[in-house]
Amino acid sequence: MRIEWTLALRYLRGRRLRALLTTLAVVFGVIVIFGMNILVPTMMAAFQSTMLAASDRVDLSVSQKSGESFPASVLETVRKTDGIRVAQGILGRPFNLPTDWFDRDPGTPDRVGTLSLLGLDPEDARAMRSYAVRDGRFLSRDDGAAAVVSASFTEPLGLKLGDDLALPTAAGVVRLKIVGIRSPRAVPGNEEVLVTLPEARTILSSPERLTSVEANFAVDGEEKRQEIRGRLMGLLGASYTLEAPSAGENMAQVLQMSRIAFTAFGALAMFMGAFIIFNTFRTVVTERRRDIGMLRALGADRRTVVGTLLAEGFLQGAAGTALGMVLGYLLAYAGIAAVSPMLGQLVRLSVGAPQVTPDIVAVSVVLGMGVTLAAGLFPALSAGRVTPMEVLRPSPRDAYYRRALGAGAVAGLVMVALSLLALASGNLRLLSLGTILFMVGLILLAPALVRPLAVAFGWLLALVFAREGTGTLAQGNMTRQPSRSAITASTTMIALAIIVALGGMVTSVMGSFTDLMRRSLGSDYIFVPPAITVWQSNVGASGSLADRLRRIDGVDRVSTMRYAMGVADLKPTMSKGPQPESGMAISILGIDPADFALVSYLSFSEGSEKDAYAALGKGRTLIANPILASSAGLKVGDSVPLLTPEGRLEYRVVGVAADILNAKIATVFLSQANLAADFHKNEDIFIQLNLAKGADPKAAAAAIKEAAREYPQFTMIEGRAYFEELLSLFQKAFSVLYVLYAFLALPALMSMLNTLSIGVLERTREIGMLRAVGSTQRQVRRTILAEALLLAAFGVVLGLLSGLYLAYLLVRAMAAMGFPIGFLFPWGGILAAAAIGLAFGALAAVVPSRRAAGLQIVEALRYE
Amino acid sequence: MALIQAIGLSKVYGTGDTAVTALDHVGLKVEAGDFVAIMGPSGCGKSTLLHLVGGLDRPTEGTVAIDGQELNALPDAELSRLRRRRIGFIFQFYNLIPVLDAAENASLPLLLDGVRAAEARARGIEWLGKVGLADRETHKPSQLSGGQQQRVAVARALIAGPALILADEPTGNLDTRSADEIAALLRKVSGEWNRAVVMVTHDPRIAAYADRIVFLKDGKVVDETRLSADAAGNAASVKDRAEALSK
Repeated sequence: MRIEWTLALRYLRGRRLRALLTTLAVVFGVIVIFGMNILVPTMMAAFQSTMLAASDRVDLSVSQKSGESFPASVLETVRKTDGIRVAQGILGRPFNLPTDWFDRDPGTPDRVGTLSLLGLDPEDARAMRSYAVRDGRFLSRDDGAAAVVSASFTEPLGLKLGDDLALPTAAGVVRLKIVGIRSPRAVPGNEEVLVTLPEARTILSSPERLTSVEANFAVDGEEKRQEIRGRLMGLLGASYTLEAPSAGENMAQVLQMSRIAFTAFGALAMFMGAFIIFNTFRTVVTERRRDIGMLRALGADRRTVVGTLLAEGFLQGAAGTALGMVLGYLLAYAGIAAVSPMLGQLVRLSVGAPQVTPDIVAVSVVLGMGVTLAAGLFPALSAGRVTPMEVLRPSPRDAYYRRALGAGAVAGLVMVALSLLALASGNLRLLSLGTILFMVGLILLAPALVRPLAVAFGWLLALVFAREGTGTLAQGNMTRQPSRSAITASTTMIALAIIVALGGMVTSVMGSFTDLMRRSLGSDYIFVPPAITVWQSNVGASGSLADRLRRIDGVDRVSTMRYAMGVADLKPTMSKGPQPESGMAISILGIDPADFALVSYLSFSEGSEKDAYAALGKGRTLIANPILASSAGLKVGDSVPLLTPEGRLEYRVVGVAADILNAKIATVFLSQANLAADFHKNEDIFIQLNLAKGADPKAAAAAIKEAAREYPQFTMIEGRAYFEELLSLFQKAFSVLYVLYAFLALPALMSMLNTLSIGVLERTREIGMLRAVGSTQRQVRRTILAEALLLAAFGVVLGLLSGLYLAYLLVRAMAAMGFPIGFLFPWGGILAAAAIGLAFGALAAVVPSRRAAGLQIVEALRYE
Repeated sequence: MALIQAIGLSKVYGTGDTAVTALDHVGLKVEAGDFVAIMGPSGCGKSTLLHLVGGLDRPTEGTVAIDGQELNALPDAELSRLRRRRIGFIFQFYNLIPVLDAAENASLPLLLDGVRAAEARARGIEWLGKVGLADRETHKPSQLSGGQQQRVAVARALIAGPALILADEPTGNLDTRSADEIAALLRKVSGEWNRAVVMVTHDPRIAAYADRIVFLKDGKVVDETRLSADAAGNAASVKDRAEALSK
């Protein structure tokens, strides 16, 4: 083995604890980046394979790009196409069932949460597929309320042939007689309830419409089949697709978002890791100056010296990356293990082991190793400049980075000034650049700030440690080597900046969302479907429920929301999420502007609220939510082509506004009249109502409850209670952040401990001298403690400043992505960061101060 | 040709008013196998002379040649190679690498020169035997006494087969007995193994082991004395001479 590697290995082994702590800095970053980037794609792959499995055994499946229904005439078009042997039309949709629908027992988890209702022509269907029935019979054309289901559905629920199956529908509860039971379902996806096409059209109130047409070819050979596909697409037009509709698109988007967020967090952890590594290597070089000088005197050239340090970086980077990848894999595995029973039960989706792709391995390795080597490079190069003379000095010195003080401080000052200009500009790109400038600027400026800040805080210390002189001594120690103090403080700064920034973001998000929630869900009563935000599988109510509610004595206003899946023929400008080949998948919500304005709330960021509501419904107009507006670059007055069942139709943007429920999903709001005309949707899936002034709340509530009884798919809840329920969910979700705090705070503590301990080691002889001239052990301890607190306070000040800047950037970036939030000053985060910083400072002093106080005076004086 | 040929060496630290002349036009000539002690009071420039001769530092004026090779003209990498192969260093504070064991420390110059680890170790152990540390090869520096550590340093200085050993206060950190042992070892290095040894010391008893003593004062050579082979007998006269010169 070459001498560089031998030395690197030996030095690492000689300083096991420090090597471990430095390596951990890499591990944390890699865990997050690797773990999240295999977890999320694995889940997405599982969703996609579900979609593929659902469309097996047919050659062709025609559907509307939006996923909504289309005219039954399409079936005839397909049938008449040359080369098609057989085709069938299907009208289907997923059905969310209310909680405890079958077992009526809140104590046990539900076996079935979502069904697919499929209406088909029994004869066409059997011409296409076998539909083997195990018990009973298949459907026949003259069946009425009859259904065929699978054994994997009936057995867990204890249903038998001839039993009634009750389903909540838009027209109230429908009962279907089970006439046939098929073999247990083998492929992933929802349990299917098969009914005749006319029955499905009644239940779903969609006369003369279909959601998909399946067909088999009469010809073989991929070329001929491609030719038929091409001809068919020409006949059907751009709003149709021959692939299975990509349901689960919303889920994929949410997953994608979380992946980006976690990657960003991983990058932050990496950045801090880089700083810790830099700091450690710098300390290592300082400590080993004599060893290095000796090596040089013995004839080692610069390359050997630099190579030894880089070899150490390589070994630590490799170990950290490998460990991070293993732990990240386990994290992903545990994450999947935690959610897969639930997914398996609800949607028969089986998520396999995490999938590791070569590119994510490559990214993790490049980042993990690259960050370590890059951070170690400067200290390594400076080690190469150590002269052989170093070995002959009486004691190691670290008057080393000092000469950067003058020029660095000026550069730092310029950077901070530029970053403040960026702050004033409000431009997001400038802000991101400004954040980096600000932090780097502070780091460069830090050595120059040591003295003034030490004096400022020293005054405080003098009060605390009065009459001991230890405060002054600590202050002197800190200002004697400004660069060393500055590096320690900078490490603290980065850790605290991240804590303050996260705190600031949480404060802003919580504050803004709470406000929006209170206003948009502030109605007296709310009818909530089983799945909020994943609207397409919810079964709504026909307009008669809302009408009945309106007639109740004491009810003032009723506002309803309707839903259609849609595709906007737009090119996303920044999102890289999975999108259909042409256009972006969006949620389309239908509202009645007059009722909506009074009962619910949209937070407008563009366009006036009054004008937008007035314009909605006059022609084809829409209100886009900020997520959509920002990802497609939409402004008021822009035209948005929507792929509707009626073809490609141009809508005009009359406002950009957010509500709380769809804040994370690209959404447009249309008038209910437009939704009915262009999308053939008229189910209410979300209902809000207000009571009249002076109404008897008890009587009204009873009447509302009575009206809701026929629509068990809704949960009726008081607006205030719903608001509180959502708020507590929200707070739970954010408690994850405390784990992230720990992830970032721990390595920061380690590096502070590290730096401080080394500071004491370096001054061993000096401490011996102090003891020799009569300092008590207590005085030595207090001096070290005072110095640690000074350093921590210094780091806290820098950390708060840059944390606030970073928080502002994060909030602005989220707002630009379309989240309806504004910046709120994070008092909580600031207090937490200050407390954590000072506590860590005191903690870091414990071991070194004990060590210093316990030094044998004679030994300490002899210490090299 | 002399092994060391130093002509008109000067070293000035600082500039202008704060300039300090550490060495003032000093010449030194050492032949193969010579054992030269450099003595003088603190600050007389003896260590500076050693650094310049060893190529650790560059002179302000004058030239040093080792084996006719002019050091001033060499780039850093060449100078490193020269130190690795032609010169062995011994320091006051031993300067062993704390994380390597005795055999590895002794064989460090070979390892730096690219010799295979097993071979380097074997030669390291061989040299440890020669300096009287046969059974200590796997000990870490922290497990060795000061005298033993300095023996490892001597083995390290000799292992690459250099013609010249430079020792800077090699006994400065040792008790009397260990100091005598190291001085005797250096005597053997020069006498039996035929390497030139240049040793800086302020201890007349140690200097008495040398063949020749160069006295420096205020950066200038003030005296040169040849000694007999009887170190114990020389000691008293060296002491008197040193005291007389430093007045």
